[in-house]
Amino acid sequence: MGNEAEAQEALQEVFAALLRDPRAVHTDVSAWLYKATTHWCLNQLRKRRNGTRLEETQPLGEAAAVGSAEAMAEARRLLARLPAQVAAAAVYHHVDGMTHSEVAAMLGCSRRQVGYLLERARDQVAQEEQSA
Amino acid sequence: MSNPFAERLWTACFSSLLLERFLFNELTAAEAQRVRAHLSTCAACSSVLEGMRRAEPLPPLRVVPLRPNRARRAIAVAAAVAAASLLLVLRSHPGERIKGPGFALAAYVQHGVEVRRAGPGETVAAGDALRFVVTAPVAGYVAVLSVDPQGRASIYYPQAARAAPIAAGDETALPLATRLDATLGEERITALLCPSPVELGPLRAALERGNLDFPEDCQVARWHFVKR
Repeated sequence: MGNEAEAQEALQEVFAALLRDPRAVHTDVSAWLYKATTHWCLNQLRKRRNGTRLEETQPLGEAAAVGSAEAMAEARRLLARLPAQVAAAAVYHHVDGMTHSEVAAMLGCSRRQVGYLLERARDQVAQEEQSA
Repeated sequence: MSNPFAERLWTACFSSLLLERFLFNELTAAEAQRVRAHLSTCAACSSVLEGMRRAEPLPPLRVVPLRPNRARRAIAVAAAVAAASLLLVLRSHPGERIKGPGFALAAYVQHGVEVRRAGPGETVAAGDALRFVVTAPVAGYVAVLSVDPQGRASIYYPQAARAAPIAAGDETALPLATRLDATLGEERITALLCPSPVELGPLRAALERGNLDFPEDCQVARWHFVKR
């Protein structure tokens, strides 16, 4: 999300969703949390897209360890523009390090479909690079 | 402009999800063994896992009020204390009700993703979460205090200087979950139902001195569990 306050808000919202419907968790709790958190955060990024430009604040410590702050900020801008499933696949694979099989399990699709979604993410980013 | 999706930003060999599932005992024995074997030879994964273990506790979630009509069939509460994964899901036990007019205390314990109703002397583990449920024959003020195996007393509920109001009712879940620390041994829990909002600091201090005399007009319920 780019800053701690919004990350905490995401956490609150995800747990609130669990409270509203605890039966939503059919699998491991960890997997459900990843899915719900990713879904909520991507929606927020998308909502921001048409509003004010993303305000980049200090990255979280963990985010800094995962990749450079610059790359993460760029990733957030790009994710806001990708179709929902493409963005989710990109986050699971590139940010969370999931294998194609793990991403397929999260999205409920085939590994082949995951390969296709990740390719779309790369292609769209490459196109934006060219037009920039 | 760099392309963040040209390669993984994640630096460990295993995904963050797999490592989270390993930390929370969600993997099968064979999968967990595979992770352990890899960790013994991979500095990058060991370092990432260590970072996840050391993650700063997350702030407590806002308390979600429980609706009495739902509390009897399904109650869910979540409290985040570490790594975004403390979940406590309470489920009702059809047909199981505390009977009688007295004040009573019960608890649910969450271990990993499993939640069970705890009996007296229940064996629990460090890191488990507890949620207390009280049956109050009359409206009053409730508090839950604890004495750990080393004789240290603490106030589990409420997080306030005085006992908190509670309506009369069966099996009212207190709106806080308690994560157990690593002190092993028997822990004794005392719940009070008083006609006034008694001050808890002096009661905690008295408990720590071994004095179990509570105000005469308070009803007392006791429970204990063993941490192994």
